[in-house]
Amino acid sequence: MNYSNYPDIQIDLSKCTIPFACKKCLEICPQAVFVTYGIKVERGRETDPNEPGSYGLAVAFQDKCTGCDDCIEVCPEDAITITFPEMEA
Amino acid sequence: MCWICDLYGDPEIEDGRWFLNPENHSRHMYKIKRPEQKAKAYGTDPEAESGKLVADIMAKRLEDPEEFKREVEEANAMKGDGPFQIGQVVPLQEAVKIAELSYPVASMHCICRYHCRGHQECNKDEYSCTGLGVGMLKWERWPERYKGGVHFMDPEEVKAWLTKWNKKGMVHTIMTFGGSFVGGLCNCDYPDCNIIRNRLDYGIETGCVKSHYVAKVDYDECNGCGVCVQRCQFGAIKFEVTQGKTNIDHMRCFGCGLCETGCPSKAIELKDRESMPGLKEMW
Repeated sequence: MNYSNYPDIQIDLSKCTIPFACKKCLEICPQAVFVTYGIKVERGRETDPNEPGSYGLAVAFQDKCTGCDDCIEVCPEDAITITFPEMEA
Repeated sequence: MCWICDLYGDPEIEDGRWFLNPENHSRHMYKIKRPEQKAKAYGTDPEAESGKLVADIMAKRLEDPEEFKREVEEANAMKGDGPFQIGQVVPLQEAVKIAELSYPVASMHCICRYHCRGHQECNKDEYSCTGLGVGMLKWERWPERYKGGVHFMDPEEVKAWLTKWNKKGMVHTIMTFGGSFVGGLCNCDYPDCNIIRNRLDYGIETGCVKSHYVAKVDYDECNGCGVCVQRCQFGAIKFEVTQGKTNIDHMRCFGCGLCETGCPSKAIELKDRESMPGLKEMW
């Protein structure tokens, strides 16, 4: 398997504040590249998905990204940028 | 022989199937906490450690693909002797047997889909994962893990519940918690299940070992409807155009039995993996 041509996927977490409640990119990605995780984990208390900053969004499988750009289109905050490495001539 | 059965099976019981050995459902049942001991925080148990180790290996695939390959091979070679959590695919009938052996059985939300798709299962109709054994009675200690609560089920209910998810097209997978203790019975699919993905895409084997079966098509009975092709989560089934029938690649088959339970013309049967010389070492 070739892992060398994976893109650099940046998520601007100052724009993407409620990924768990929004989850548009998580659901649309055909390759299931993204993961969400709780940031404010407190024992005995549920984290409110609508509270900004309570969940984060990360890229777990960038080597599976094909560059279809569905996530960029669907993101209401324009928080995602994808840059593929320059192809060698 | 299946290497997990080699380690944890009893040849006298159920053909040596490790997950049907009652010992693996009871060994840790009375792990009583001493009063001075504090409950470990979620994320510090051996299972989470195993998850971290796998994540460490996975991180290497981007930085150093050669090193990644080497470490995956090492991890696979360790099999049950390593620090890695063991998981195995089981067909429906064996999943039901496991649920009958274990007590209590409680359904809960799926942590993989929660992370991967932001999908929160909140009630007993949505729960798609189970915890087995008395550990489940302490679920309230880890509210982050059991977000959305749990639902305790009796054997009849478990059977109906497993059948429901089987009908929907989910693979049943068991997982160990603490050595050989069978502590989880999940309903998984690709790509949102972590262990299936790690095995199919990255070759990390210990978390998702193939079942004791392999699916075989009876070409006289198959009418080529293609239902099994839709149900296979492992990409093992193709529609063979010139034959007008489906073809199962035994090398890729995990023996989950979804094609068998879904086949309207009963053309698929599960054969014992070990009865086929080319497959008996392929787990």
